[in-house]
Amino acid sequence: MIMAVNSQQIADRQAMEKIINRYPPERRFILAIMQDLQKHLNYLPKEALKMTADHVNAPMTVIFSMATFYKAFSLVPKGRVVLKACDGTACHIKGSNVLIDEIYSCLGIKPGETTADGDFSLETVNCLGACALAPVLVANGKVYPKVTPAALRKIINEYRGQDNDSNTSE
Amino acid sequence: MKVTIDGIEIEVETGKTILEAAREAGIDIPTLCYSEAFGGQGVCRMCMVEVKTGNRKRFVASCTYPITGEIEVQTKTPELEEIRRNIITLLYRRAPNSDLMKKLYQDYSCSEVKGVDPEESCIMCRLCVKACEKVGANAISTVLRGTEKRVSTPFDEESPECIGCSACADTCPTGAIRVVEEGGRREIWHKSFEMLRCEKCGGYYSTLPVREHVTEQLELDYADDSLCPNCRRKKLAKEVAEVR
Ligand code: SF4
Ligand code: FES
Repeated sequence: MIMAVNSQQIADRQAMEKIINRYPPERRFILAIMQDLQKHLNYLPKEALKMTADHVNAPMTVIFSMATFYKAFSLVPKGRVVLKACDGTACHIKGSNVLIDEIYSCLGIKPGETTADGDFSLETVNCLGACALAPVLVANGKVYPKVTPAALRKIINEYRGQDNDSNTSE
Repeated sequence: MKVTIDGIEIEVETGKTILEAAREAGIDIPTLCYSEAFGGQGVCRMCMVEVKTGNRKRFVASCTYPITGEIEVQTKTPELEEIRRNIITLLYRRAPNSDLMKKLYQDYSCSEVKGVDPEESCIMCRLCVKACEKVGANAISTVLRGTEKRVSTPFDEESPECIGCSACADTCPTGAIRVVEEGGRREIWHKSFEMLRCEKCGGYYSTLPVREHVTEQLELDYADDSLCPNCRRKKLAKEVAEVR
């Protein structure tokens, strides 16, 4: 195991340990543990996967296989602001691709990517169940209905440079 | 229990899979992800057969379907041929570099498709993963999902678990796993191993960690004997002959 070398790393480790130790050391809790870790850390660091494997006494292959299977998990840090563009049928017809292109021209990120400054991530989701509001965009859990390219630019500016760590994912 | 497979009546034990029962009766059902050593996985669906119970007819994977009642099984209907042809077409499209898939693709006269990646050989049968599990190393698994799914070590890095036994590559039906043996070293899954040399014939035959692993697993004292499987067999035969 890699030794934590500075106080930040020690603190991170302790935080991860705390989350993991909330669950009984059984394999059936792997998903729940990883969801919890993802929620608190915004991604699943390698160290977190190792600690999970040790905790439930499962091989790393099992953990890694699951962590890469589910879209809800990310192995690289997600942005401070997570944009979710709905690309379900209704939003698709109502031009979600235009929004996705617009996000690319504003921020230079495609679905699954994060800006270099770590401010924004973009994900697509397959229907949020709000088809009447199509096209829908969700930014850090807040739903924006009937988004036009102009509205999109406003939303992005709203979040840009804003430094509070209000990461209410989901 | 009595079952009929392709019109032949067979007496089988409850719980046996259709595939096992058929093979015992000399009826061949094609498979891709099945190995006697690991049992049925139900991954490839090549082994699909038609099962009839009463008036109900359905398709099942024979390698994972345990016989629990009197059933009538067909293994070679036009519909099944079509299912298998579709599977082969798709797998050939995924793994056009595999000799096995090239052959099946021709044998089944599949309609023309172009391979996605001409270098790809893996058909995702998971036999390598099973082999690795069985060995007790757990160094590889499937990663990602959908069209991106593949077999790898965690993070595509050298795995501390890997002992370089190459059981994965030996099991692989398509030769998709790269093993390089050169200058007394074996390279596999981003990791390099020192190989063991047979004290009799001098041939390289395994890796250092494999011997440690085997010794540990079987609680054997192996240390004074390093023979390749061939020389070991000869030695044993000689010992047996002497006893007689
Ligand atoms: S590497 Fe070989 S054994 Fe492993 S899944 Fe691919 S084809 Fe099957
Ligand atoms: S052999 Fe039965 S599913 Fe592959």
